[in-house]
Amino acid sequence: MEAIAAPPLGARRLRRLAAAYGQELVVLGALVVLMVGVGLYNPRFLSDTSLTSVFSGNAYIAVAAIGMSMVIITGNIDVSVGALIGVLGTIAGTLAVNGAPTWVSWGTPLLVGMAVNAVIGLLVAYARIPAIVVTLGMLSILRGGLISATGGKWISGLPSAFRLAQERFFGVPSGVFIAAILTVIAALWMRYSSTGRAIYAVGGNAEAARAAGVRTQGMLVLVFALHGFFAGIAAVLFATQLQVIQSTVPPNLEMSIITASVIGGVSILGGTGTVIGSTLAALLFSAIASALIFVNISAYWLRAVLGLLILGTVLADMARRRRKGRIQ
Amino acid sequence: MSVAGSAEGRPAAGRRLSPRSLLRHESVLLVLVVITLAMLAHQSDRFFTTDNLLNQGRLMAEVGFASLTMTFVIITGGIDLSVGSILGLGAIMLGVFWKNVGLPLPVAMVLAVAVGGVCGLVNGLIITRFRVPPLIATLATLSLYRGLAEGISESRSVRGYPEWFFRLGQGDVFGVPTQVWILVLAAIFGALVLSRTTFGRATYALGANETAARFSGVAVDRTKLLIYTASGLAASLASVIFVSRVSTTRSDMGTGLELDAITAVVLGGTSIFGGRGTIAGTVLGLVLIQALRNGLALSGVKGDGTIMVIGAVLILAILVSNMLGRDGDG
Amino acid sequence: MPSIVELKEVSKSFGGVAALRGVNFEVRPGEVHALLGENGAGKSTLIRIMSGALPPDAGEVYVSGERVRLGSPRDARARGIATVYQELLLFPDLTVAENIFLGNAPRKRFLALDWSAMRARARTLLDSLESRELDVDARLGDLSVANRQRVEIAKALSQEPRVLIMDEPTASLAEADVQRLMAVVRMLRDRGVAIVYVSHKLPEIFALADRVTVLRDGALIGTRAAKEVDEQGLISMMVGRSIDQLFPKEAAPLGEPLLEVEDLRYRHVVNGVSFSVRAGEILGIAGLVGSGRTETALTIFGITPATGGRIKVNGKPVIIDSPRRARDLGIAYVPEDRGLQGLIRVQTIRENVSLAILDRLSRLSVVNRKDELRRADEAITRFGIRARGPEMLVRQLSGGNQQKVVLGKWLGAEPRILIMDEPTRGIDVGAKSEVHALMSRLAQQGLAIVMISSELPEVLGMSDRVLVMSRGQVVASFDRAAATPDAVGAAMTHAGQERGAV
Repeated sequence: MEAIAAPPLGARRLRRLAAAYGQELVVLGALVVLMVGVGLYNPRFLSDTSLTSVFSGNAYIAVAAIGMSMVIITGNIDVSVGALIGVLGTIAGTLAVNGAPTWVSWGTPLLVGMAVNAVIGLLVAYARIPAIVVTLGMLSILRGGLISATGGKWISGLPSAFRLAQERFFGVPSGVFIAAILTVIAALWMRYSSTGRAIYAVGGNAEAARAAGVRTQGMLVLVFALHGFFAGIAAVLFATQLQVIQSTVPPNLEMSIITASVIGGVSILGGTGTVIGSTLAALLFSAIASALIFVNISAYWLRAVLGLLILGTVLADMARRRRKGRIQ
Repeated sequence: MSVAGSAEGRPAAGRRLSPRSLLRHESVLLVLVVITLAMLAHQSDRFFTTDNLLNQGRLMAEVGFASLTMTFVIITGGIDLSVGSILGLGAIMLGVFWKNVGLPLPVAMVLAVAVGGVCGLVNGLIITRFRVPPLIATLATLSLYRGLAEGISESRSVRGYPEWFFRLGQGDVFGVPTQVWILVLAAIFGALVLSRTTFGRATYALGANETAARFSGVAVDRTKLLIYTASGLAASLASVIFVSRVSTTRSDMGTGLELDAITAVVLGGTSIFGGRGTIAGTVLGLVLIQALRNGLALSGVKGDGTIMVIGAVLILAILVSNMLGRDGDG
Repeated sequence: MPSIVELKEVSKSFGGVAALRGVNFEVRPGEVHALLGENGAGKSTLIRIMSGALPPDAGEVYVSGERVRLGSPRDARARGIATVYQELLLFPDLTVAENIFLGNAPRKRFLALDWSAMRARARTLLDSLESRELDVDARLGDLSVANRQRVEIAKALSQEPRVLIMDEPTASLAEADVQRLMAVVRMLRDRGVAIVYVSHKLPEIFALADRVTVLRDGALIGTRAAKEVDEQGLISMMVGRSIDQLFPKEAAPLGEPLLEVEDLRYRHVVNGVSFSVRAGEILGIAGLVGSGRTETALTIFGITPATGGRIKVNGKPVIIDSPRRARDLGIAYVPEDRGLQGLIRVQTIRENVSLAILDRLSRLSVVNRKDELRRADEAITRFGIRARGPEMLVRQLSGGNQQKVVLGKWLGAEPRILIMDEPTRGIDVGAKSEVHALMSRLAQQGLAIVMISSELPEVLGMSDRVLVMSRGQVVASFDRAAATPDAVGAAMTHAGQERGAV
């Protein structure tokens, strides 16, 4: 059987790769061009310490974007994940400060994240409330809950064993390491497991998925719960970056995460995209952010540059899609 | 079958409410508003005072303007996430035109509002010309417009506006805050346009079935373009009032405004799938949110705890209305 | 030989319109049983009941002699009934192998897919379908329609079904691919699979089928051995009523040409169409699905503005770049897909009827409700729309009454040129003749009517002239007197063969 499938020409394989991973390759290309370009302009950009800070600071966004990508692939969306990460980070920190074993402080956010998002999944799948509405409501609940519980106070005095994000595994910052491992696992799982394939099926054509025997509603609950799990990991990474935990997360964190997914090639219409793309996009964002500093552009223009980049990618994606549609 | 939108949400989309049950949603909401007001009045004597109520009106004006146009946007089946950023950009441009360029303040105000209109027009062009889904298009411009605000201002605030300017955001006309007058007029105008004019009809028609609307000779793209432009104008009008109310200009103004506006609209019974909704519902949604926020705060619920209640009310209201709709239509 | 699936006295109706009335049907192992009928005869409903996608309102379903309830496609598949749908329910972003095994993939432990087993079995299946060149790792979206269909068949076969239902499998295939498909069907039959073959292409049916069942208007007309019937006999079973029984067009004085198109082109789907229609005339356009009939109408109506050629309205050259422009020129288009293109189903009759003429009903863009309501009432009386009143939601109406709302909307715009695409599709017989009578009346009032229809009797009964289209071109033209079923049918078939051969 291998003999039959083996001899596709190199060009054909490349074309297929380009078709399947087009957006990922675009993002990767942009990342490489940026690194080389800025590296030539200012070689310090490629030094170990700056690269480390570039990527480890945004690792939690990459992790959260994995779950978000799954949610978007099913044709849904979650605008509450930023607030959820804030809540889960605070839970982790509170546990750590109050002397809970490290594994409890790290593990609890994952479980709570899954539970909260499973509720979202249930409301979306069974009560048939649009995901944007459910998660808008959840955003208020979580954000309000967080601030009224903490009263805006920072958590300090974290035990040193707790600070996961400040560790290094095999010389790599733990955040980067974890983001990379999770991306690979999630990508393989989505590509090769039957459940992973079913997620694409639900987003691509729910009717056909149901006709093929996929339990679409259960699948939605599962995807939201997994998304909560990844949000939990992201929260632990976020909470352990510094010596203190602030009671707020960066404003519009959920938008950054959604953007990473979309720029990474996940179609907001559902059914297509990979988590590799979203991770690459998160890397690209942080690379752009620090590149601006290295080429002496004011950091104030960061978001405008990002915004233009997003817009450009989206327009290019639509143009590509339309061209494809015309051929068929 | 179309792949657009939430795959699981589709069946619910097909199960839209009839006009009668639509009224029912607004009645449910009205009852909810009355009960809430009564309870809050009972809880705290300070709630039902004229001063407090008028002040609450003042506070809800900015979200109010954005919600009115957001109602149109969502009825077309779209969404506009960039209104908060447009508000921020409008505020910054007001400061820039007045202080840095040195234009007279009234001219600066007009130009700032016009900038918002241009932002909205750009949203509309991206959506109609390039067929980018509104969620994505405005997600991108959310970053872009906020980024422009940050870049142009470099996070410096502009202060020192003349005294007369504050009358807009802090003053009264016949004892009622100026911006409440403007909001009420805008709401009446919006309600009339939506329910009485050909433009309103086109809005509903294209939200319920864009293809059929196009096949019936409705100017689909032009209608959308106008609606997104109006959304930008409303946001920048809100920005001028915001600056006048807080006496200063900052680039982070209006962060999260889009979510508040969407909450008010959806709570008001507008279907996120399009084709259905009213301005009256949106106004009720706004009032409910503001009353909850204020009333709970007065009753001793810690400031941000009130947001939780709003989130829960949003989910519950849609859940109940969904269930009623399902029974009624069978 | 005993039947493997048997339906007894099965009935089904949608929104008050009967789609099937007490139909009996059975299929035996090792036979190809063709199911034949016009559009709307109930074929699709019947196979959807057999494949578990629809529950019957009444009647019994037996599989291997045992009475069963097929609650879902999953149930049906578990009992060995697989279906190849016309619209190919496949996922373009998955590979061939993934598509074949979606939902019932071979697994190892821990829910992991047995990837290599899956590819190997996909390979075997495709080889058994004589599709050795098809790569199991190819993305489905990159394949041709014929290859996608092979994947769909392989998907159905992956579960080793005893019954295979094929819904118009050749509708979108070229002739060479049709031949390959027929070879596959024969091979499956020889393996003992029972095959239900839905088509309305008679040559295929005579080449393949062992038995033929004909449905008409939801009722069973008869089941015959294929050897015992000829083409003429099947057509008269399908059409039933002779053409005279349909509401024929009454003579109307012909006036000036109102619509003239010359060498009309749109991309590669409309390739130089020319014709003209005069006041009082009904021009019928026949042709197979995909022949460019609807595409021509969409181009004239400005949905897909022409990329070449000329259009004249009232003798004056015009450019039509939007439906608005077409409407302002006095052109109306009653579209093929009522639910998607014709109506806003969640709105009321009043709102739908006024949609195309809002500008006229308003002053300073404020809509005059009274005027609007009066118009809706008028439309209800004039077209005999059976409704509680103008505020009734359109989706609560039956298909025929919905079609009358679409007509009401467009006739309210007082057009001079009316294009009707499948004007009586999916509506019941009574409503059909009402629509035909109305068309006749409109022609007498001096409208120029272009009617596109898949129903040959309708085309022949209503038209003053008949055009036959194929591959985006007009391939034949008949006057009323010359337009016999044989002549027009031959032109369509001939064109179809030509189409396959090129």
